Amino acid sequence: MYQYDPIDQALVDERVIQFRDQVDRRINGSLPESEFRPLRLQNGLYLQRHAYMLRVAIPYGLLSSKQLLTLADIADRYDQGYGHFTTRQNIQFNWVELEQTPDILAELAKVEMHAIQTSGNCIRNITSDPFAGVAADEVVDPRPICELLRQWSTLHPEFAFLPRKFKFAINGSTEDRTVLLCHDVGIQLHKDSNGEIVADIYAGGGMGRTPILGNLVHTNLPWQKLPSYLTALLRVYNRFGRRDNLYKARIKILVKALSPEEFARQVNIEWRQIQESDHNFTPAEWQRVAQHFTKPAYQILPSLDAAAVAAQADTSSRPAFQRWLKRNVRAHQIAGYASVVLSLKPHATQAPGDATATQMRAIANLAQAYSFGELRVTHEQNLVLADVEQSQLFALWCAAKKSNLVLPNIGLLTDIIACPGGDFCSLANAKSLPIAKAIQERFDNLDYLFDLGDLSVNISGCINSCGHHHVGNIGILGVDKDGEEWYQITLGGEQGVNAAIGKVIGPSFGALDIPTVMDNILKVYVKERQSDERFIDTYRRLGIAPFKTAAYLNQKLSTELV
Amino acid sequence: MKTTALIEYRLGHRATFIQNEWTVWGLPSAEDKSDQNTSADLPPAGKVIVPFSWWLEHRDTAEITRRTFHSEIAVWFAGTDDVLAHAAVIEKSSVWPLIAVHFPIFTDGRGYSTAALLRERLNWQGNILAIGDVLIDQLRQMSRVGFDQFSLRADQNQTLALKQFSLYSINLQHAWRDSRSQLIQAAKHDCLEDELQAA
Repeated sequence: MYQYDPIDQALVDERVIQFRDQVDRRINGSLPESEFRPLRLQNGLYLQRHAYMLRVAIPYGLLSSKQLLTLADIADRYDQGYGHFTTRQNIQFNWVELEQTPDILAELAKVEMHAIQTSGNCIRNITSDPFAGVAADEVVDPRPICELLRQWSTLHPEFAFLPRKFKFAINGSTEDRTVLLCHDVGIQLHKDSNGEIVADIYAGGGMGRTPILGNLVHTNLPWQKLPSYLTALLRVYNRFGRRDNLYKARIKILVKALSPEEFARQVNIEWRQIQESDHNFTPAEWQRVAQHFTKPAYQILPSLDAAAVAAQADTSSRPAFQRWLKRNVRAHQIAGYASVVLSLKPHATQAPGDATATQMRAIANLAQAYSFGELRVTHEQNLVLADVEQSQLFALWCAAKKSNLVLPNIGLLTDIIACPGGDFCSLANAKSLPIAKAIQERFDNLDYLFDLGDLSVNISGCINSCGHHHVGNIGILGVDKDGEEWYQITLGGEQGVNAAIGKVIGPSFGALDIPTVMDNILKVYVKERQSDERFIDTYRRLGIAPFKTAAYLNQKLSTELV
Repeated sequence: MKTTALIEYRLGHRATFIQNEWTVWGLPSAEDKSDQNTSADLPPAGKVIVPFSWWLEHRDTAEITRRTFHSEIAVWFAGTDDVLAHAAVIEKSSVWPLIAVHFPIFTDGRGYSTAALLRERLNWQGNILAIGDVLIDQLRQMSRVGFDQFSLRADQNQTLALKQFSLYSINLQHAWRDSRSQLIQAAKHDCLEDELQAA
């Protein structure tokens, strides 16, 4: 993975010095909270319900064992012994002290990490495919572009105070594992007829209260010109995005108001003036960055078939091991290797995406022992060991089992994506974590979960949509009605190349009703599905009506009748 | 409104405080009541920075022509002013001794793009002065995109202000003041290679 050069290191070191001074001035009172707030947010520091929360960037989801050990130490020394992996490939510490944040940032800088622009109205942490470099369907390894754009966007002087936050996702595969079209800018990499890397640019996607998929605004942009093109695009947004209404300030509103065609035209006019400028990347810069993303030292190994892999397990462990192989292990580009997803979604014992310091250390050691000392964070809030020898899968399973990381529920109903919700977040209208817990408790039977198959459940505690509920097959949104917490259900959302925004089924439900409502909806699927149909396929074939009727069947439900 | 001192940070020089000779006129805030009737009133005597929109309307009057000729009139752009829409006028108007860009509040980032466009697209060579809600924690990024003069909000710490420009020894983007450090480093490397080859 990428390693900082002296320039990158100077930047994070000097950022710590700058922030330490800002914190000092906040504490001595010379910097008022209203003026400190945007500064701390641009360093990932939120003030939540109970304490400060520090959001640390894991750029495009890539993490080394060494870095994860540092995160574990930070969790122990400065927090309450755990961290929360987010839907944007960040990690959050929920219980930090303002005075200590410069020290935490200094610890992070030592392992080439930072919290820069993980919040604020600026370009946020760039996200990408957790299977970058190993996915069988990969066309272009997106990591060098991700890293070049990470550098380009870090402390960008012109775009530190945009109308609103700005999120990039970058994909280089045929499948989409990045929720590309729900980003302010989605960059799809592919190759042109000469084999050169080019980018298709989608703009104006987003979730929040106006969920909308991004529009294609430029095709076949040579990768070198990404900085000048993105400067032009952000300049149009910075100048003309709405600043009068917080809820209409995202770029999606501007793109919609102008029309995607007109927005693209304005960006092009600006870009034509600067497209040959120093903004662009050079081949030397590519070389400097791309050299860090070469393939690791793979062994020449025979490819093992399913039976040979399963045979690694003793008879008593084999059924459980095979379930894990089915759900948590992915095919790899290289013969004899596989990618493994470690589940951070144990049933009801821990919040989705949470890992204790002890688990983090164990995971760091697993990555060291089985996957070249690297791991990836997924936007589904799990962790990936990308390069595991097939012959080591059972040994890894046994080791990971000790840390409660092998629940075979990846992509199943209990692999719930959830924001921290009202238990922590001061923006939330309702709690997310107890809902996730109740669902995991109700649907704890693995046979049933396997029978249901692929099914995404996403929970957001408010319309900011950090739990990506709009793209969940079943989405759950916490809403506030007269000071009470209610939950609205959407159906039919999907991520991937067939990305879709879910539809609201009707009036919202009380927290206690959610597992029953889910059960009612799932019964329709089980009854109506044809052969191998997934939940989303059945939903698309039948439409929302039968699910909606079933959801409101139970008369005892305390359904809100408004 | 007139502050006593400005920071000047010219290209290739150190940042320093200089005496302010300019009065900003027509600000839409409590700082200056004169905006009530700017269209009817004339700006006060001396060196005055007037709203660009006001200047557009009044530039041909005898009074303004005379004062402009004597380098007593400069203009300021509001956040809502689209400098590109007035590109032709601005490019011809090297008559202004400086251009000011107003920040109604420090979190309104439009002024950064305004300054970048003035430098990059409209080739403005004179000073660009930041006015309004100008705080020390934004000085560095302002100075990178095109600003070289700063009228700090009155309560800001002047000693700390000058230190802001040297907080970082590197930059990760190409901007008006400096290129990406990576490009500079690559250029140095190439020079070194050439020298080695020559030797």
